[in-house]
Amino acid sequence: MNGLEAQTAAYLAHRMPAASAIVVDELARIYGGSSQETFRLRARWEENGAAIEKRLILRRDAPAGLVVAERDLEFNVYRALAGQGIPAPEAHFLELDPKWLGRPFFIMDLMPGKPGNPFGPDPYEGHDESVARQFWSVLGRLAALDHRKLGLTGLRNGEAESGFWRMELDRWEGILDAGEAVIEPIVRGGIRWLRRNPPAEPAKPAIVHGDYRSGNFLFTPDGRISAILDWEMCHIGDPLEDAAWAIDPFWPITRHLPLEAGLAEWQAASGMTADRKTLDWWRLFSAVKACAIWTTAEAALASGESHEMVVALSGVRAGHFHRKTILALLREFGELA
Amino acid sequence: MRLTIEASLRRIGDLLRDDVAPDLKTPFLGQSVRMAGSMLNICANWVDDAAAIRVEENAKIRSVLGLPAASDTGFRISQLDAENHRLRLLLVEAHAAAEEAGDTARNAAIWALLEEIECARAQRE
Repeated sequence: MNGLEAQTAAYLAHRMPAASAIVVDELARIYGGSSQETFRLRARWEENGAAIEKRLILRRDAPAGLVVAERDLEFNVYRALAGQGIPAPEAHFLELDPKWLGRPFFIMDLMPGKPGNPFGPDPYEGHDESVARQFWSVLGRLAALDHRKLGLTGLRNGEAESGFWRMELDRWEGILDAGEAVIEPIVRGGIRWLRRNPPAEPAKPAIVHGDYRSGNFLFTPDGRISAILDWEMCHIGDPLEDAAWAIDPFWPITRHLPLEAGLAEWQAASGMTADRKTLDWWRLFSAVKACAIWTTAEAALASGESHEMVVALSGVRAGHFHRKTILALLREFGELA
Repeated sequence: MRLTIEASLRRIGDLLRDDVAPDLKTPFLGQSVRMAGSMLNICANWVDDAAAIRVEENAKIRSVLGLPAASDTGFRISQLDAENHRLRLLLVEAHAAAEEAGDTARNAAIWALLEEIECARAQRE
């Protein structure tokens, strides 16, 4: 076992006192979420006379990432969603004490399947429509859940009944204020438009994944979505926030299924109506939020907090794309000639 | 032929992406180094006209704001960026004021300038 494998084995021994002969191997870093380091590994041990082998995922806090994620947020969401009809891995252990692996981390099951590359030519290997329909249906089921019954009132906005658009806009504008070395007037113009044209309130508060998009779920060779991943930005809000993020032109799920068909799946699963004017508001919000995230990425690279090349490229490439998106949307909404 | 900063960065970027990355022992490292190569190539394309873009942009913002056509006080990128940030803050204020006042002509002029700036700033790969 190498250093991190041995440290992980020691931690598992601490958490599983009935286990013996624990071996961790085949540990390898993979891309998965830009706010945490993700490793796959194999763990083997003996327990009650039986040999057990599990493929696991270790998610460790990164020194800096695209967003500031609360440490136990993703773990708590995985635990709360178990058995709720949302494909997600089973989460086993959360550790906030840095003495084990240097930073907080959690351990969950490695799920079957692989992520599609939203920028590749055939991300879902011929299963486009089926995958996209499941994608919308899962999102609808998520919107229908009652976060209070699932014990998720600790999420951001978890106690609120309304006003989500303002709370989220304030949050991301604050992140821009803190991170922009050179202010982007296009983004600020987009924010002013959003404040002048507030959306309708949602039918009810919903669990918002926060990064629900092509590339953030696993699919199996037969075209089944096996896990929705990367819940670091999960919060409570308007379910159309996720729908708008999913159709953002940077990673549009509409590439695989027309929007109308996707929204029909969402409406059937959620029992709610997707108001198109409200969806438009969240589309522009998504572009502003994306700009804030890219600003954070740029700042993390500039300060030396992050050495991640995926963060670097996000910071330099995607900001321009989303400022152009803001301009295009404002033109669509009649703000620009 | 002189070896410029731009050409140096591009050669290092190509080396990392095309020669070093394929030989690395883990997929994660290989992908990271390929992306580092792409990043260096983007940086290479930023170098040559970085000052010119900022000087031109600052002049255009001063013009729209009706400020004197003063020249920039320094030509280091950091100095030009500091002045650019100052001018952009003023532009944001002027834009908000135009919207508040219902001044559609000024609003349109500022949006047109912002589109022009965005196009000039697009990264080239």
